[in-house]
Amino acid sequence: MGLEYGFMRNAFLAILIITPLFGILGTMIVNRKMAFFSDALGHSALTGIAIGVVLGITDTNFTMLVFAIVFALLLNYISSKSGTSTDTIISVFSSCSVAIGLAILSKGGNFSKYSSLLVGDILSITPKEIISLMGIFIATILFFGFFFNYLHAASLHRTLAKSRHIPVRLIENLFAVLIAIIVMLSIKWVGILIINALLILPAAASRNLSENMREYHFFAVLFSVFSGITGLLVSYYTNVATGPMIVIFASILYFATYLYGRIHQV
Amino acid sequence: MKNKYCFTAVMLLTVALCAYLFTNIYVKNEAKTENNSFTVVTSFYPMYIATANIVGNCEDITVQNLSEPQTGCLHDFQMTPEDMKLLSTADVFVINGGGMESFLEDVIAQYPELIIVETIETEDVHEHSEEEEHMHEEEASHEEHEHIHDHANAHAWMSVLHYREQVEYIANALCEAMPESAGKLRENARVYDTKLAELQAQQQEILQIAAGNKIVSFHEAYEYLAEDYGLEICYTLNLDEERQVSAGEVADVLEIINESDVEIIFAEELYGSELSDTIQNEADVTVCYLDTLVRGEYDLDSYIHGMQENINILKQAFGVK
Repeated sequence: MGLEYGFMRNAFLAILIITPLFGILGTMIVNRKMAFFSDALGHSALTGIAIGVVLGITDTNFTMLVFAIVFALLLNYISSKSGTSTDTIISVFSSCSVAIGLAILSKGGNFSKYSSLLVGDILSITPKEIISLMGIFIATILFFGFFFNYLHAASLHRTLAKSRHIPVRLIENLFAVLIAIIVMLSIKWVGILIINALLILPAAASRNLSENMREYHFFAVLFSVFSGITGLLVSYYTNVATGPMIVIFASILYFATYLYGRIHQV
Repeated sequence: MKNKYCFTAVMLLTVALCAYLFTNIYVKNEAKTENNSFTVVTSFYPMYIATANIVGNCEDITVQNLSEPQTGCLHDFQMTPEDMKLLSTADVFVINGGGMESFLEDVIAQYPELIIVETIETEDVHEHSEEEEHMHEEEASHEEHEHIHDHANAHAWMSVLHYREQVEYIANALCEAMPESAGKLRENARVYDTKLAELQAQQQEILQIAAGNKIVSFHEAYEYLAEDYGLEICYTLNLDEERQVSAGEVADVLEIINESDVEIIFAEELYGSELSDTIQNEADVTVCYLDTLVRGEYDLDSYIHGMQENINILKQAFGVK
């Protein structure tokens, strides 16, 4: 299984932490129809890095994180104020930030330096980064433990939730920030192009099967972890980049469950 | 209700089983005869060809290349688990150096016992930021190192002269690492060097006619080539896969071509042909599509063939018989 290599152990650990997280968060993202939102967040990583480069900050992870949080909050704010539909606003934000990021990073023809961000590289993960992942894992569990019902209520009926004195705005913002942090922390290993697939696919597959919230979460986490581990192992033996392999497995699960759902009318 | 869980279990098992089977078939096909011989891993194509020529038919030494042949320049290279495994079994790792393999820094740190043969000194190159590297300010002082000149540009294999130095350097390093095969290695290196010397002799013919000519280059690798022929590069536009050229740059190129009466452009077929066509329409220039020798067959003579091809193109361009 290749576990005798340090890089494989690290990658394995990281997968074991990231995938359940993606599974859990994905359910909420799918429920709240935020798939496009998380995609835009992933793209904003480019601008975050570009800003870091312009400011001459060596740790571009930091600027990436800060920018993503600001981006998420701003997006939430504007889409709640503006009359235009949310997907238009997200699209505007997303393309705008990608353009800024590309413009800055490609200056002088240096974009190739950052192209690894597009596909990601899970093999380069360090123990320190695994610890920060662990931290965000705990934070997510706590957040879901305390606020899941509120969040769920708000996603079902925003006005009704407000009338029950649920701080909808605050919770939505917290959730957006949480997604921002997780996407930013994992983007280096998963890659901008496919990070959203990992968030959405397991939850979408799970939705094909499940009839209640408990099942929904259970299947999402199961599918996510399963495709993560299989993807890593297969990529290890077949010499293919890990991120895409994981997404391929998640897609297979999605289509299989889709067919099952269609046949059995779940 | 029960059905669903059964279905999920069956589905996951089937997928896992299929993945296992296909992977197995794949791995069996790929399986290489591995023995306990001395393993030399090279970082990319030109290094592989050089090393493979030196090692030649030494039975107890295996040479393996890190990136796939089609990966080409290392900008877009991503390490796969296979590569990491390969490195962990390697005894010697031959790299080009000069910042070419910057992505390997973290990886190398993981294998402290690995002997790393760096064919270009990096210390001076590293001082240049990418930005400056792009401007192609040649080092004013060509400080003579024991094996190679310093350059802000790491495509040293493009110059036969430098390539010969690299071959010699690799040969020395391998002999040091494997004293028991030193005789054979030196002999192989000598034979290869003779072939390279022939190429260099042909280059001299071109040099006599072409020296001093002004050219525009669309890849920084051609700087070394230009050095071999005594050509003067007026402008370098470093085109690669992710590079978008702005209209201003094209205008700059055209202006320089007209100002300094440039008649020849060096370009790479893959990334430079579109721009070259544009420029050819606007100005009276000849475009020479030269191979940067970073990809190709795993054939021992492929460097020589590629270089010969380049030489033929240049002979034609400069009217050498």
